[in-house]
This record gives sequence, structure tokens and C-alpha cells, in this order.
Amino acid sequence: MYRYIWLVPLLPLAGAAINGLLGRKLRFSEKLIGGIAVGSIALAFLITVAAVYSYAFSRNAMWPQTYVTSQDGAFKFTWIPGGAVRLTQGSPELQALNLRSEAAMKRAAELQAQQNQPVIGGNEQTGEETRGSVLDVEWSYQLDALSSIFMLIVTGVGLCIFVFATGYMHGDTGFYRFFAYMGLFMFSMLVLVMGSNFLMMFVGWEGVGLCSYLLIGYYFDRQEAANASRKAFITNRVGDFGFALAIFGVIATFGTTQYTDVFGQAATFPLEPLGHWGLLSWIALGLFIGACGKSAQLPLHVWLPDAMAGPTPVSALIHAATMVTAGLYMVTRTNVIFQHSQTMMMVVALVGAATALFAATIGITQNDIKKVLAYSTVSQLGFMFMACGVGAFAIGIFHVMTHAFFKALMFLGAGSVIHGMHHEQDMRRMGNLRKYMPYTYLTFLAGWLAICGIIPFSGFWSKDEILWNAASTRYIPVGWIVWIVGTIAATCTAFYMTRLMAMTFWGKEKFLGKQAGGEADEAHASAYDKGLTQHDAKFTSAGDRPRHEPGEHVGPTGSSAHAHDDHGHAVHIPHESPASMWVPLAVLAVLATIGGFVGISTAFTGGKHIGGRMNIVNFLDPIIWNPATHHFGKEEMLDSAGRPLDGELRARAEVLPAGIEAKEASSPYGPQGFNLAEIADSKLHNETATEWLFIVISLLVAGIGIGLGYLFYVKDTRLPDIWAARLKPLYQASYNKYWVDEFFGWAVTRRVMDAARGVFAFDSKVVDGGVNGSAWLTRLSSRIIGGTDQYFVDGIVNAIAAFVARLMSPLFRAAQTGFAQNYALVMVLGLVVAVALFFGSDIARAVKSVFAIIL
Amino acid sequence: MILTGWEAVFFWVFSIAAIFAALLTVMARNTIHSALFLISSLVSVSALFILLRAEFIAGVQILVYVGGVMVLFLFVIMLVNVGSEERGSEEIFNHPRQVTTSVIFCALLVGGLLYAINVGYEGLQKRDETAVTVAAGQRTADEQNLPEAATGSSRITKETERVGSGLYRYGSLPFEIASVLLLVAIIGSVMLARTLKQEAAVDDTAPEILQREAQHDPEIAKLQSTIAQ
Amino acid sequence: MQFLLFNFLSPALGLLFQAATNGRFATAWEKAQHPDLSKFLIIGALLFIIGVAGVLTRRNIIVIFMSIELILNAANLNFIAMSRYLQDTGNVNAVAGQIFAVFVIVVAAAEAAIGLGIVIALYRNKETIWVDEIDILKW
Repeated sequence: MYRYIWLVPLLPLAGAAINGLLGRKLRFSEKLIGGIAVGSIALAFLITVAAVYSYAFSRNAMWPQTYVTSQDGAFKFTWIPGGAVRLTQGSPELQALNLRSEAAMKRAAELQAQQNQPVIGGNEQTGEETRGSVLDVEWSYQLDALSSIFMLIVTGVGLCIFVFATGYMHGDTGFYRFFAYMGLFMFSMLVLVMGSNFLMMFVGWEGVGLCSYLLIGYYFDRQEAANASRKAFITNRVGDFGFALAIFGVIATFGTTQYTDVFGQAATFPLEPLGHWGLLSWIALGLFIGACGKSAQLPLHVWLPDAMAGPTPVSALIHAATMVTAGLYMVTRTNVIFQHSQTMMMVVALVGAATALFAATIGITQNDIKKVLAYSTVSQLGFMFMACGVGAFAIGIFHVMTHAFFKALMFLGAGSVIHGMHHEQDMRRMGNLRKYMPYTYLTFLAGWLAICGIIPFSGFWSKDEILWNAASTRYIPVGWIVWIVGTIAATCTAFYMTRLMAMTFWGKEKFLGKQAGGEADEAHASAYDKGLTQHDAKFTSAGDRPRHEPGEHVGPTGSSAHAHDDHGHAVHIPHESPASMWVPLAVLAVLATIGGFVGISTAFTGGKHIGGRMNIVNFLDPIIWNPATHHFGKEEMLDSAGRPLDGELRARAEVLPAGIEAKEASSPYGPQGFNLAEIADSKLHNETATEWLFIVISLLVAGIGIGLGYLFYVKDTRLPDIWAARLKPLYQASYNKYWVDEFFGWAVTRRVMDAARGVFAFDSKVVDGGVNGSAWLTRLSSRIIGGTDQYFVDGIVNAIAAFVARLMSPLFRAAQTGFAQNYALVMVLGLVVAVALFFGSDIARAVKSVFAIIL
Repeated sequence: MILTGWEAVFFWVFSIAAIFAALLTVMARNTIHSALFLISSLVSVSALFILLRAEFIAGVQILVYVGGVMVLFLFVIMLVNVGSEERGSEEIFNHPRQVTTSVIFCALLVGGLLYAINVGYEGLQKRDETAVTVAAGQRTADEQNLPEAATGSSRITKETERVGSGLYRYGSLPFEIASVLLLVAIIGSVMLARTLKQEAAVDDTAPEILQREAQHDPEIAKLQSTIAQ
Repeated sequence: MQFLLFNFLSPALGLLFQAATNGRFATAWEKAQHPDLSKFLIIGALLFIIGVAGVLTRRNIIVIFMSIELILNAANLNFIAMSRYLQDTGNVNAVAGQIFAVFVIVVAAAEAAIGLGIVIALYRNKETIWVDEIDILKW
């Protein structure tokens, strides 16, 4: 079945093409558009499930091995016939520079010879060595543990969100456009995660960036949506620049972009511990800049909160569940490269931890429900990078999965709330919604518990594992800092999510007595901020949304009767969303509740990852490289038949010298100094007990966060204002998002504008002046030359011409007889001359011989 | 390609006939005679075509030229009145200067071309003799397989079949273009040969010409008044 | 008959066709008995020259047209002869020359139709078919 995975990206593309190209022309009904979109995604999901099952769980599963569609001809197409390239990086000298052991170096050289790619040739006389390879980039799909998890997330969560969107976008005149973009996004995302080489990932990477841009700016007639879409696009360009450089580095070093080849070669490269900054560190740096851009890590996180200007299903699908995790996918995919560079591992961990804390503190003070969720997303992404940085890539992916469940759930819940509240996003105008929207409330509750990390909801398992791995890591020396920052961030998370719950679903009904209405979601909030009771529509709409005519008075009408479609902006009573919206919520809620058991903590299972390949950690093991043993996967991994896993890979990359001890194996870069888990272990003398200690700590901080939130926003609602006044600088900093946007505006945007103005001034003054000056000079000189020409040159020419005319005219006039036959005669003369030219000398000789005969 | 025996005799007979008929075409005083000599020249050349085993072209030559084009010529000769030429009152050749120069040039061309042909043919003789032999052998073998004609004295060649398949396989586009050319020629000649009356009837004449002609032709005057309405 | 013909004609023919080569009549006679490609080409050339001479010297526009037909026929003869020559030297299917001849005949027919239409129109307007009286090319 896994032979047919090429269908998976194709189906959403086909759906998007049908909707986008024909939807408007043929006036498709909403049912038809929704049917095509949801149907294509559902089919893709089914194929994905079948493919993953047959790849990983069926009787003749391929699982530890990687399946690439080109290897059995299922799907292959060379889309960049690059031909031969010369490798300019990664020369043997460079490798020798950072080599850790003689044996590893020897082994690397042997392998390079065996693998037969890169080809080593050169000039024998000069002894100069050139290395070359063949860069034919193929379009083929790769199925392995990582891509199957991402495919399942993308198509599965995507299916839920598509179904939700058919309800949420009901009545929107851009319905077909929305689903065309969404389908295109699904295609790009699937290309990203299924591609078998870096360039395909790049295509998908740019594709999701484009679709993100299109969907953030979906309400393109709204200024802030247009600005947000441009901001997202431009910020992502910064990251893409790094990513592109990294790809160039990969090509220059390995001569190929195919994952299997690149990682096979990279595994033989020497490690670059802290203090060494080698080739792979550069590549990893470029890749990580790309990941920062896409996954909204510091300092490139600024676009993600603004991206909430898009429709809420978009926020759920793209800016929470799938696209923003592309950075994680990339880092995990290239974990071989990252793990070669201890410095970059540390950078990843620290950036992730900083982002987690930073975004969590901002989330505490935001009032827009989607903004809170957006900062929460940034924070959770920070947690994931934290996991990758401390070497727990599988746990990072685990958190991607659980986060996709609960964050998509919460975004969709927020969408349901916004829908029920008639485009109201400000939490200060909500309250006690559980009475009106029971399904939304119950499902949201599951998401809340999951993100806070309450056992046994899914978020607990992944977040706790991340913190435990941070505390016990032997990959980097600063694990304890990461752990402390992460724990604080987790507390903040619990606090602001409780705040969100309290303001939205609990407490008093604050929307009563106040009126809604207005142009846009943002306009509501600003109107509320300014204490306006009513406002007029500000912009004319392009017609995609329900809207008010300019000048139309929008204010309280006192009527409580309403239908959703007419958008009467009276004081309104929220209503529960239709089934197409809450059923996906329920599905996601179930997943958010039980989804964490695929990665159940070892502390609960006696120190082992139980469940064989059903356990996500075991499942992902074959693609995680082990820097200590220089092969893929952990040492003790056995498959169901008891055979050692990925034996071939292991044999190929077996560079571990005999002398390396077991202790060193778990700490690939040597001893790393202070380690929280080791300290605790040495006190407790029991590894399981140590892990339990950390579990209790993380549960405790979650409880503290929840308790504080409950205290502040339910028990005594005066407290927030009091504490905001007491901690005014901190509150202001958080409320204004630490002025990062302002800083970028000052440091980047203004500078760029100044530079542009400078260049413009240069152009208009210096360049144009030069051009105009030269034009003036040309005119002057032309006037001089013109005078000369008119009187001097023309005089001579005329004189000669008159002379010639008088001399030759009788001859020429005589030639023009007007009789056609005279002209024909001249043609024949031409023929005679032509023959004479060809054979003239011969003819002369022949004539002579004829005369000789005759005489 | 070397003709032998009676073929050689016929070659000389027809080529001399063609040349002399052509000379007489050019020199005959009576235009009708000219046309008839041209017919005989064309027939002789078509006989040469048959000697070259191009039966189809020979047939086309006779059908189109002799049957069609020359009849057209004769009609035109009869339409235009050339009696003065026949009566000998008009010189049939041009101004003597023109004639002299032309004859000199033509004589030069004859010498040059004959010499060029001889030299060029010597060049052509330096050829792959084995290929020629093989081709000749193949041709003989092919001819053995050809069906016999009804008289039993000759065989039906496949030359026409070859020309046909070549024409429709490689020359189909030029063939179509040629048909369009013929259509244009038909329409063009019809348009050219209209009388003033015919032109006036469809209002295809300049008004001033019509005015001028109407003064001495009552029918045209009538037409003019019809058009004026 | 054959003998008589060749006996009778050989000196003239030899002079005509082979004088420029070596002047040996015997060889010329031998060659004349076996006419080959060059003979056809020579006939074509002569027809061509006669046509050219007709075009250049005659006053009667109809005869000029006839001379043009002669020229075209000479070209046809060359085409066919070359086609035959190619067929005999290996290219069994070399019929391009014959196809060209067909097109030349088509063009000749079209040209005759148009040209004679012009002659009619000319005669109707200028009452003449003498070319030297049609001199409005020089105004």
C-alpha cells in the first residue's frame, strides 16, 4: 500500500485545483466546494493511514528501513537534472581538523571509498584532488517513521479542521477561494514532509509560506490582514535565506540532496564538540535560522501573533498544528547534522527555552483570545526546540503531535466561540460561555488540561518528558538552565490558559448590556478599548465577508432575536455552533485526552519504552542518529522478531572504536559538568525515583499555575488590576510584547526606509543629474556639429553630387528604356556573367583548344 | 543512365524535333504556327520524358500543356486580332539592337552552358560504381517482377505509383498549396478578362472611366444610370 | 535505319556536342550512340536558350508567353533527367524531381491562365499586343 503514497499530496492539490479554477466560474455551491475539499483530504487521510499501517505495522513491514518511492519505481521524476557538480566543501583536510579519534577518521575514509559517492578523482600529475558528484534531484516521496507521523498529523488534524471550516466559513463569498488555498496548503505541507530530498522540502517550505501568506491575507480588504500577511512573508524570507544557504552548503559538501545519501555521508563526519565550529555547524546554523523563521522562534517570532488576522481554521491548521512545526520537522530530519555540532544543539535548546518563557509571559496579559493562543503556540514551539536541543528529538516530535491535537482543538474552540459570539474576539467581553456553548466548553476543557500538563492528558506526557530530558541531558552542559526556564514557562502556561478559561467560559456574562457590531474582529477590540459604545464601518469590503455599508449606523437595537446569517449586531446571546463545527472538536478532544499514551513516560512503565513500535519513541528511533555510537537508533533496540534494528545502517556507520566505554556512549561529547538529574540521582540512588521527582515537580508547577489563575480570575477578580499596577513595568512590557515589534520597526523597517530614501535621493540627484548633464552636453555638441554639417559637409556633398549627376545622368537615362525586354536582357547578361564567373577560365582554355584544332 | 539501341535513336529523333520545333516557335511569323510548333516541341519533350521512364509526367505534359494550355493560347490568339502580323506588314522581331545583343548573349550562354554541362558531367562520373552496379542489379530484378502489359512486349512499371506516393507523402503540403494557387489563377483570370460592361454591371469601375465610356456607349450609359440610383 | 541515321548525322552532332572536348569524331560518335545524362541536359539547355531568345527578341506578347513555356519545359526536362540519374545511382525512390516537375507544370498552367487574362485585358485597353508599344513602365 505504501507504494501509493504519491497520491497523498496529489489529492489535496487536485481538490484545490478544482475548487480554485472552477469554483467561481461554475458557481459551485458551498456543499460542493466543501465536499470536494473535505473529500480529497479524507481520501488522502485514508491512504495515509493505510500506507503507514502497511509500512510500519503490517506483517511484512519495512519499518526500520526508509522507503523512498524511487527505489522500487513507484514514483520518480528527475525534476532538476543538475548533472555533475564539483564538491567544494568537506575536504579531507577539513575533516581531519576536528577529528576526535584516529579510528573514526580511518573509518570515514574507508566509508567514503566504499560508498562510491562522492566520486574522488583528480589530476595525478599535480596531486591535486577534486571531488565530484552527480546532482540529479528527483521528485520522489520518502516514507519513514518521521514522515509517517507528520503525514498522519497533517492529514488527520487537517481533516478535522476542514470539516470545521465548512461550518465556520459558511456564508463567506470567498468560500471556493478559501478551500482552494487550504488545499494548496495541504499539498505543500505534504510535499514538505514527504519529500525525499532537501530541495523538495524547500519547495514545500516555500509553498506553505505562500499559502500562509495567502490565507493570513484572506480578508485582503482589511488593512491589518494585508499587513500581517506581508509581515509573515517577509519575516519568513529571513529564515528561508538561512535555509537556502544551508542547502547550498549541503550540496557543496555532499554533492547530493537526497536525505538517505546526505545522512549516510554525514554520519561519517567527525563530531564538532563545544568550541569547534566546523562545516556541519555552519550547515546546522543555516537550517536552524530557517527553522526559526518558520517555527516562530526568537527573534523571528513576530509574525505568528499577527498571523491571527486570518480566519480561525487557518490559525488552527497552519499557525498551530502543522506549518509552524515544519521547523521541528526539519531539525529532526537533519538531526544527524545537528548532533554533529554540540554548539548548535546548545543554541537550539537555549533559543527554544528563551522563546518558551518569553512567549508565555506575553500570553499572560493579552486580551484577544486568538492572540493568547498564538503566544501559547510560540511558547509550545519553544518547548519542542528545547527537546531537540537536549537531544530528545523523538520527544520533540511527540510534543508536536500532542500539541497539534490540543492546540488545534483550542483554536477551533476559539473559532467556535468567535462564531458563537458573532466575531467577538476580546475575552473581556465574554464570560460564562459554558452555559451557552456546552460542547465547545467541554472540549476546550480537555485542551486546557492537556496544555497545562495535567495527568493523564496528552500534554502532560510530552511536556514532562521534555523537562525530564532537559534536566537529565548529557548532550549539553546547560541542561539545568533549560530545565529551570522550561519549568517557569510551564507555570506561566498553566496560568494564562486558566485565565483564558476563566475569562471566556467561567465567571459573569460580560457581553450582556454591551453591543457588538462593526467592521472586523479587530475593530471590536479597539472600539472596546477606546470605550466606544458604537462605531461605524470603516472600510468598504471587497465582498468576501458579511459587512456593513459605510456610514451605516451599527449599534444596539435592543433586539435579542437574531439569526447568525443576518449578523444583526444587537446585544446578542451566544449560541452553540453547528455539528460540523463541534464534531471535529469532539474528535480532537478525544485525541488530546488519550493521544499522549503513545509516548507514556518510562517512569510509569518500569524504565522502558513499552509497546514496541507503537511507542512513539521506539517508532522514531531508526531515524535518530546516535552521536555516541555513530549509527542510527539506540543500541538496545530490537524489533518484534528480536533482530537488531536497521542492521544495515548500523553496519555501515559502525565507527565506534573498541575502546569507547559504555558511559561515554550516553554522553557523546564527553562529560558535561553540572547535571540536575545526576545530582538528584546521586542523592536518591534510584533512577526511577529521580524521574518521579521531576514528574511531581512538573505537576506541581502546573497546579500552581492553575491555582494562581483561579485565584486571580475567578476567586477575586480585583487581583489582576492590583498586581498589574504593582508590577507596572513588567505588566507594560508583557502587554506590549516587550516592544519587539517596535524595536524591529525602529531597527529594521525604519533603517530600510531610510536607506531606500537615500538611494532614491542618490538616484534623483546624482544619477539623474549626470544623465541630464550628459544630455545637455550632447545637445550642445550636436548644435555645433549640426552647423558644421549644414554649411561645410553638405556643401561639399552637393557639389560632388551635382557634378556626378551632370556627368552620369545621360547614361543612366539611356538605360531606362521602359521596355520590359530590355530589362530581361540585362537579366540574361547577369546569367552570362554568372556562367563566366564559374567557368570563365575553363571556357577560355576550351576556346583556345578549339581554335587550335581548327587552325 | 545510358540509352542504347532504339532508345538512342528515338532520343536523337525527338530531341532534334524538340529543338527545331522550338526554334520554329520562336521564329514563325504566324502566331498560330508558333503555337502549333510549340505543341510539337512539347510533345517531343514528353517523348523524351517517356525515354526517361517518367510516364506520368509525360502524360501530364500532354494533357495539361497540349490539351489545356495550348488550347487556351489558341483561343487567345483568335480573340486578339493579329492579322497585321500575318499579312507581313509588321516586323515580328524587336529593334535590331535588341535582337543583336540578345543573340550574342544567347550564343555566349550556349557555349558556357554546354561547356559547364560537360565539365559537370565529368564530375558526376566520379561516383560510387559499386552502388551504381548494385542499383542497376536491383532495378533489373525489380523489372523482372513487374507485371506484364497486355501486349506481352513490355512491363507495367511502378514509376507512377512511386510518384504518387511521393507526392502525397512528402509533397502533400506543397500539393495543397499548388491547388490553392490554381484556384487563385482561375479567379484571377476571370476577374482580369471581364469586359467593361461586366465590370460596370457589378459596380467595379472607376466613375470617371465609366463617365468617359458612357459618352459613346449607350448600354454603359444605361448601366451608369442604374448604378447612380 | 539506325546505322543510316548515325552515319548521316554523326559529323554534325559530333561537332555540335563534342567539339569543345577533344574534337575526335570517333569518340563523339561512340558517345552519341549511347546518349546519357549530359545529352539530356544539353537538350534542356538548348531549349532554355531558345526560349530566352524568344522572350528577348519577339514583339508579340503571346509568343513571348510561349517562349516562357519553353523555358519551363526545359527546366522540367532537367528535373526529370536528374531524377532518373539519381534513381540509377542508388536512390531507387528518388522521385523528388518528378514531383517538382508536377509543380512546375501547375505553375506553368496558372501562369498561362493569368498571363493570357492580362493579355486580353491589355488588348482591350490598349488595342495592341506588341510589346514595344507597351512602354508605360517609363513614364
